[in-house]
Amino acid sequence: MLLSAENVSKTFGSLRAVAGADLSIDEGEIVGLIGPNGAGKSTFFNCLAGDTLPSTGRIVFDNIDVTRAPPETHARLGIGRTFQVPATFEDMTVLDNVMVGAFLRHHQRADARTHALKVLELVGLADRQNLRARSLGTPGRKRLEIARVLATGPRLMLLDEALAGLTPAELQQAIALVKKIHETGVTIVIVEHIMEVIMTLAKRVIVFNQGHVIAQGQPADVVKDEAVIEAYLGRGHRQWRKQSVGGA
Amino acid sequence: MLLLQVIVGGLLLGAIYALFSSGLTLIWGMMNFINFAHGEFVMLGMYVALLVVVWLGGGPAVFGFAAAVALFVLGVIVYAGLIRHVTRGPMLAQILSTFGLALLLRYTAFWIFSANVVSLPQTSLGGTLNVLGILVPTAQLVAGVTAAVLTIAMHFFLTGTTMGSKLLAVAEDRNAAMLMGIRPDRMQALAWGLAAAGAGIAGALMAISYPWSPSVGETFGLTAFVVVTFGGFGSVPGAMYAGLIIGLIQALSAFYLGPIYKDVVVYGLFVALLWFRPQGLLGKA
Amino acid sequence: MKAAIAFAVIFILYPFVFSNAFYLDIGVALLLAAISASAWNIVGGYAGQVSVGHAMFFGAGAYLPLLVYHQWQLPPIVGVPLGVAVSLVLAVVVGLPTFRLSGHYFSMATIAVAELIRLVVGTIDFLGAAIGLQGPAVGRGWYDLTFRGELPYYFIFLAVLTILLLITWLLQRSRFGYYLRAIKAGERAARSLGVPVRRTKLYALMLSATFTSIAGSLYAIKTGFIDPESGFGILVSVQMVIIAALGGAGTLYGPLVGAIILIPLQTATNTWFGGGGTGLTYILYGGIIVLIARFEPGGVHELWYRIAPKFRKRADAA
Repeated sequence: MLLSAENVSKTFGSLRAVAGADLSIDEGEIVGLIGPNGAGKSTFFNCLAGDTLPSTGRIVFDNIDVTRAPPETHARLGIGRTFQVPATFEDMTVLDNVMVGAFLRHHQRADARTHALKVLELVGLADRQNLRARSLGTPGRKRLEIARVLATGPRLMLLDEALAGLTPAELQQAIALVKKIHETGVTIVIVEHIMEVIMTLAKRVIVFNQGHVIAQGQPADVVKDEAVIEAYLGRGHRQWRKQSVGGA
Repeated sequence: MLLLQVIVGGLLLGAIYALFSSGLTLIWGMMNFINFAHGEFVMLGMYVALLVVVWLGGGPAVFGFAAAVALFVLGVIVYAGLIRHVTRGPMLAQILSTFGLALLLRYTAFWIFSANVVSLPQTSLGGTLNVLGILVPTAQLVAGVTAAVLTIAMHFFLTGTTMGSKLLAVAEDRNAAMLMGIRPDRMQALAWGLAAAGAGIAGALMAISYPWSPSVGETFGLTAFVVVTFGGFGSVPGAMYAGLIIGLIQALSAFYLGPIYKDVVVYGLFVALLWFRPQGLLGKA
Repeated sequence: MKAAIAFAVIFILYPFVFSNAFYLDIGVALLLAAISASAWNIVGGYAGQVSVGHAMFFGAGAYLPLLVYHQWQLPPIVGVPLGVAVSLVLAVVVGLPTFRLSGHYFSMATIAVAELIRLVVGTIDFLGAAIGLQGPAVGRGWYDLTFRGELPYYFIFLAVLTILLLITWLLQRSRFGYYLRAIKAGERAARSLGVPVRRTKLYALMLSATFTSIAGSLYAIKTGFIDPESGFGILVSVQMVIIAALGGAGTLYGPLVGAIILIPLQTATNTWFGGGGTGLTYILYGGIIVLIARFEPGGVHELWYRIAPKFRKRADAA
């Protein structure tokens, strides 16, 4: 088991964003994390990434307790993450952005540069390496963020809605990219709203609602789960279904 | 007893600190922005008082009001012309904007008024009052009490009125406020106007009892930083308590260590705060 | 590379072309300003941690050499490493608690500490109190570095500036330099990539403090006099910031360009309007800083790349 979260909660004042969430990820998996807006996914995600300090619970990565560890430590241990709103270094070039990531494991400039170029090649941004990050559109920035975190040599990548806002063609490219990254041996947890992404990429899906996990399993099964449907469509939907289908 | 007099004097001045610091902390809480020119707003309030007395011969009520209005307008102009454009930008631009403004205001004041120390001619508030055996200059008492009342009024405005709630809503969650139909831009402009007005009145109140020159802005600005840090990020009640405490500490330092040390102790306290309790009095660890 | 050689040639030839004492004086002042501003640039420009109290380091570097001379008749140069030591301690005192908080705390702390020191030094007789300290009127030997003409100072300052710019250039290309820029560009993202943010900021401040201290020492040795205002005053801090920001904070040559623009300008306005605290020079400074903040935070460097596209090294998509 690569990553495990036990009974993680996070309370902000009187708001309980995450309420006793459990999770375990094995090395080599691609796991999808879904749930309606406001379900606590992002907060939970931030706890896993070390950005937010959990109020209770334990998070263990590769047998190391990282519950209270800062993001820098997470990165060094091999956990990488992207941000929901791309946080690229706007005034730095594409190459320099990725080099910041590369410098984690490659302390010399020449090494870092070589590695960064390789990652840019993999991701398909090599031709734009000297452009400033701010001149890329949102899809470009998302790809850059992926490249940047990939350059840190992570064992686990936490992708926070990295595929949102893409055209169908871009989406296919992005899905292919995530697959390619996975094939190099990186474990992936992906938070996503787009069903197609979850269905094609994730071998296992975890469903979040109201701060905790309400369902887990293979995508095809989870989608049919009563609790999941109710979470997305509301209780009224169950009544409607019972009435219209005769209580199936 | 002399010590009691010192304490009372310190608290009264502290009330004035509370008044101008609550504006600074309001903006900090609302926009995550520190106004490095806040001390200069106080200083300008003092000069407005002087000009009103010299040109119009008005009393404290008149020049207090004038300082409030003049600084309110300045606050809004500064927001609309400068602040609004730098809040989305790099930190360097944000800090330089009000830092540069402070220099601009300070040295313009030096140029117009010279570096001479000035004070207001004796107003109707001369003399000393005997309050429970303690001798307090009337002017200081009136200034301090007025400041305390105004600061409390600001607090009630923020927590008790619709307009105030709108301001707090923007401070709490800008996007949510927008969804409720509140215009953050307008609210922020209002906050700047209020904060500047508070600083202006505080200056006018201080002008009644204390002499000054354009350089006081720098000292007041730093004092305000200490007060808002002590009181906690964005907390107006915190600024109220902190102002009083800082005023008290300052008075006691001057009394026991000498006038030079009154500021030294306060700045030293600031450094200690940063090391040991940066969240301030009322902040959470 | 071409820029470096051009600058080097111009600066080396300058004192021989403009050998008049007045122009030489401006040259020396310009170099000193460039050193201070370039030192500030490391933490303020590259790392984006805006210190507005850097005078604390400058003053420490200025006081120690004159102190060791005044109290123990040692050559002022002995005080240079002492000044650096004091500055490093100050850097830790200011940076360690504030670098884990938001940027405003650091900026506020720098003003407060600089002011604190200025006030305290003014009361301590051992440090010259309000009168200040003086250096050797006549040198006892070459080691006192009291030259009668400006020329030796000019070349010493030029050498120090060159070393500082070289270090900055190497820094820019190094892992540390990339991390500094990342911190400025986005702290949260930098953290997520493994950048040890707090430690990196602190090291940047310490490096910056070291060179600012050296600049202060150079100033004191050349001028032979220091007092609380000329060492720790707010205007000392302001000058460093405005010169770096005007030329382009976070760029290698920005501070030097800023000094080239501002020092001659300052000399001119001081002559026309009268110097000192009541002069219009500082109103101008305030105005310039506001304009930079409002319209072009990247300074002349950014402005240049915006209006002269053919010189752009980095292509931006249309």
